[in-house]
Amino acid sequence: MSDLAELLAERHVLVCVGPGGVGKTTTAAALAVRAADEGRKVIVLTIDPARRLAQSLGLDTLDNTPRLIPAKAFPGRKPRGELWGMMLDMKRTFDEMILDMTSRERAEKIFGNPFYQHISSTLAGTQEYMAMEKLWELHEEGRWELIVLDTPPTRSALDFLDSPKKVTDFLEGKFLRILLWPYLQAGKTYLKAVSFGAKAFLKVATRITGSELLEDVANFFLAFEGMYDTFKERSKRVYDLLAARRTAFVVVSAPQEASLREARFFVQRLGSEKMPLGGVVMNRTHDVPAVAGLEDPRSLAEQARAAGDGALLAPALDVYGSWREVSIREEAAMASSLGDLPTVPVWRVPDLADDVHEIGALRRVGEALFGPLPKGRTRSEPA
Amino acid sequence: MPASLTDSRLAIVSGKGGVGKTTVAVALATAAAKAGKKVLLVEVEQREGIAPLFGERPIGYEERRLAPNITGLSVEPDEALVEYLYLFYGIRRVGKVLRGTKAIEFATNVAPGLRDILLIGKVKEAERRRHQGRYVYDLIVLDAPPTGRLPRFLDAPRAVAELVNSGPIRQQAQGVLDMVTDPKRCRVVLVTLPEDMPVRETVEAADTLAKMNVNVGPIVVNAVLPEVFPTGKLRSLAKDPAEPLATDAAAAGIRLSEEAVRGLARVTALHARKTVNQRDAIAELQRETSIPSLDLPFIFSPRMGVEQLRQLAAALEAQGAIT
Repeated sequence: MSDLAELLAERHVLVCVGPGGVGKTTTAAALAVRAADEGRKVIVLTIDPARRLAQSLGLDTLDNTPRLIPAKAFPGRKPRGELWGMMLDMKRTFDEMILDMTSRERAEKIFGNPFYQHISSTLAGTQEYMAMEKLWELHEEGRWELIVLDTPPTRSALDFLDSPKKVTDFLEGKFLRILLWPYLQAGKTYLKAVSFGAKAFLKVATRITGSELLEDVANFFLAFEGMYDTFKERSKRVYDLLAARRTAFVVVSAPQEASLREARFFVQRLGSEKMPLGGVVMNRTHDVPAVAGLEDPRSLAEQARAAGDGALLAPALDVYGSWREVSIREEAAMASSLGDLPTVPVWRVPDLADDVHEIGALRRVGEALFGPLPKGRTRSEPA
Repeated sequence: MPASLTDSRLAIVSGKGGVGKTTVAVALATAAAKAGKKVLLVEVEQREGIAPLFGERPIGYEERRLAPNITGLSVEPDEALVEYLYLFYGIRRVGKVLRGTKAIEFATNVAPGLRDILLIGKVKEAERRRHQGRYVYDLIVLDAPPTGRLPRFLDAPRAVAELVNSGPIRQQAQGVLDMVTDPKRCRVVLVTLPEDMPVRETVEAADTLAKMNVNVGPIVVNAVLPEVFPTGKLRSLAKDPAEPLATDAAAAGIRLSEEAVRGLARVTALHARKTVNQRDAIAELQRETSIPSLDLPFIFSPRMGVEQLRQLAAALEAQGAIT
């Protein structure tokens, strides 16, 4: 069974996945802050466009360039290692990748294509793919011992794990090239020796989208000719990095049924893909254990009210009873979605009541996960 | 004037992830159905969050009854495209051919926004649908994508118009645009929690949507905690409630062990602190926007089911939101 502290200390890549609204970005940042505090040289890469990670790290903005978080952003004790942050700019990453893959002239041609301009920011899977591309770049740069990756809150884990394949399939688009054959010819030779299927396809596609779009698309594929293999190689090596033993996936969830359903899905999907699952971080739990003497808080509250001295005690007993029920609901929900997966460790972060948006608060999240930061301990020597 | 959730035929329910959009959408549908309205409850992206709340199996592309006066529908772009082509062009067997060639995947991936237009287009069709001169549905509740993606979802008509100059999709885009920008036909109901981050995101989303000429409101503040402690004591209770609680217990003649006081104090501090933050968040919401808001209570019960939804529906009704 893996221990979160061990993952943080030993692994090279931590990928936080999970549904939206469960505190994935916060968790990624808290893990990175803790790693930096413990002496590692760490970078956290977020895709969250809400800029809250930047804010929480004491910067106005983050962009596509890694930035060192200044020590003054850390209240009190300074980090023993280094904390870096960056935010994925999908379009720029895509542009840079193409520049890296082909000549400037050809790249310019691609950039000018209206179809490219749209897919580089809106094609399903592009964001995930670019996050992976960036991960690879950061890994290649070799400047960081640990890379913590935040991921899009996609509805489906499939999108995330499939994205390299999905995008390359799409770009490779063998069947598309056959279908678009008439457009791919230098001139606009009209549909002649094209199969029935292709004809029907083009007829419908033209009717739906208008012919000018199809031309743009054809030109786009033409410009990409010869780059498909490079794309494939890149996908493959990212996939290998993700599957490597120095990587761990951390599923982030919250103890509500809808989020837990997603978390379960992620856990199982990672398992079936043989991806290294570290465990589940369960955010904002309400653990209210049964306490001897408080079995029936409601009638105690009545007693307090009857005695006339319960101005604080009676409502306190009421809220105790209420949160105890929430606690039971959460336990039941966690047990029913993850209970049959006993080998998956679950690490809880109790509801800290406050919004987490500065490093001090991120440290408190870390303390909930790892306990207090040991004094005088350091791991600053590079791995 | 009470903030009505039902005086446009379409209510698009959105919010930051995790704020309870689906729960609120279902509560709204339940309240309207109880008031005698014929309601269509629509989900997109196969989230399958609706049916379990009714204790039903997942809904599909076929409209299916979920409860009295409530029909469920799960919209999916492929099906929407096939249906669209059939309805408007009489292209009958196109579905099969298209599926065989993966053309739908192509078309919906290639034209950005096309997917979203097909989804809202299907909603528009239901919104306009009549039977014997009467609208089939009095209210359509769309459990929409989260606020992060909503502007792009609703802006799809414009995005598509940029790429596509003519043809049926262009027309469809215009029709969708007409609907989402007509305050008599459509509104966006933003759901938030009484917490800082969701409130900020809600305020930002409301601004963005208003700039797109989309009617926004009311805002539903979900999971509002009951204020049970005297206002003046909140801050001290949030810090260290153990002593005053022990004093109270002694005065009331209730014997509590140290462990019991500690357990009580922990929950009291949490609740008090959350109450303080809730007040700040609600104050911020009121300061930053003039959109009317509705409150839904935090549900403490050990499970979330039909009974709890009724409770939420009743809360909406009591605030005059169902007209």
